[in-house]
Amino acid sequence: MKKILLIVPFLLTGVLLVAVMADDDEDHRSIGRSIGDVAVSKDATYIKECGSCHFAYQPGLLPKRSWVKMMNTLDNHFKDDASLDQKTTKYITNYLVKNSSDNAMDYKRSRKITNSISVNQTPHRITKTPYFIHKHDEIPKKIIVQKEVGTLGNCIACHTAADRGIYSERAIKIPNYGRWDDD
Amino acid sequence: MKKQLALLIVSGVLANAGGFNPSMQGYIDSLKVEAKKSNNSFADFNAKRGELIFTSKHIGKRGREISCASCHGANLSLSSQNAFTNKSIEPLSPRTNPKRLTNVQDVQKWLKRNFNDVYKREGTPQEKGDVLYYIKSK
Ligand code: HEC
Ligand code: HEC
Ligand code: HEC
Repeated sequence: MKKILLIVPFLLTGVLLVAVMADDDEDHRSIGRSIGDVAVSKDATYIKECGSCHFAYQPGLLPKRSWVKMMNTLDNHFKDDASLDQKTTKYITNYLVKNSSDNAMDYKRSRKITNSISVNQTPHRITKTPYFIHKHDEIPKKIIVQKEVGTLGNCIACHTAADRGIYSERAIKIPNYGRWDDD
Repeated sequence: MKKQLALLIVSGVLANAGGFNPSMQGYIDSLKVEAKKSNNSFADFNAKRGELIFTSKHIGKRGREISCASCHGANLSLSSQNAFTNKSIEPLSPRTNPKRLTNVQDVQKWLKRNFNDVYKREGTPQEKGDVLYYIKSK
């Protein structure tokens, strides 16, 4: 899994793209189109209501069909009660759908997550999407179960800039382990 | 007349020192009315009873032993960690964390969710009042 650092002068459009971390495993054609990993979530209501029990996952990490399903079953949300009043539920559902991964295909991770899921599947978790599984299948279990992390859903414990929508390898720092280097 | 009014206001403020804000006090008062309905001998909420509600362990919604303190910690003036998600939780004590117990809607929402997590049912009005007195005393 070698990572290549590409310097792509983006002459045609007049934009200078400084450096792009390209994955060796997926389409190189679309590299230049990426405008970031995932769109940052800034909505105050979303962060308050969906960021109280865990990291406020960016809407661009799951397709709309997953969000709609989740928002219809908040009273039994992974065995927890995350129910909200009707007005707030509707507001957040709209926000999630509008910014879902399949509506944010200009963002690199959103595009890769979307493309990894087959059309007849509706994953309940980000951590159950094929792209996510593929990226995390080499992490030793003992690193995940330690108190500072607990579950793979605790993105920000390892991805120190996750709240800014940045998931690149350079911004990974695993507690009691340090920087990740898989080369 | 003016003097009397001033005195009234002063004593009101004093009685409320360390107490709840007006909207929270309104919520507490409505809980008292409810508690009285189901228990004739009910006089007032009690922080000692609240402590037991908060610290005792029960087989919760997930089939495992859990208490309120499993997520909020034993010392309410310290940060703690969510037992389900490992996310850190700011102190519950209103003395260390003045935002606590100030927004009625938030308090109602979390009491409903959290009693379900621990007791697999909603709290009774008396239980809610007792536990709020306990948190307030910390
Ligand atoms: C009352 C606490 C609570 C609230 C509020 C809450 N969640 Fe969750 N959420 C959980 C728990 C518990 C899990 C499962 C954690 C685990 O088992 O790893 C979870 C998991 C998730 C996951 C899956 C993460 C993964 O593993 O990929 C997503 C996505 C999610 N929540 C979105 C939301 C959204 C959107 C909202 C707001 C509408 C929300 N949550 C509000 C408790 C909550
Ligand atoms: C235990 C630490 C840990 C947690 C928790 C974790 N990740 Fe990761 N993640 C990693 C590591 C390590 C890699 C690098 C894998 C590799 O390239 O070999 C990675 C890679 C990624 C990548 C690809 C980055 C790249 O440069 O290819 C994305 C996107 C990502 N994680 C998103 C998430 C999201 C979203 C969450 C939460 C739902 C999450 N991660 C939770 C450790 C973690
Ligand atoms: C599974 C973890 C968990 C358990 C168990 C739990 N809580 Fe909570 N509680 C939370 C979270 C998460 C919040 C909201 C996040 C925050 O405000 O920091 C919260 C918020 C609250 C609030 C709102 C305080 C405010 O004004 O901001 C009260 C009151 C409360 N909990 C009481 C209780 C009581 C009483 C119990 C036991 C019946 C309990 N909690 C059990 C996780 C838990």
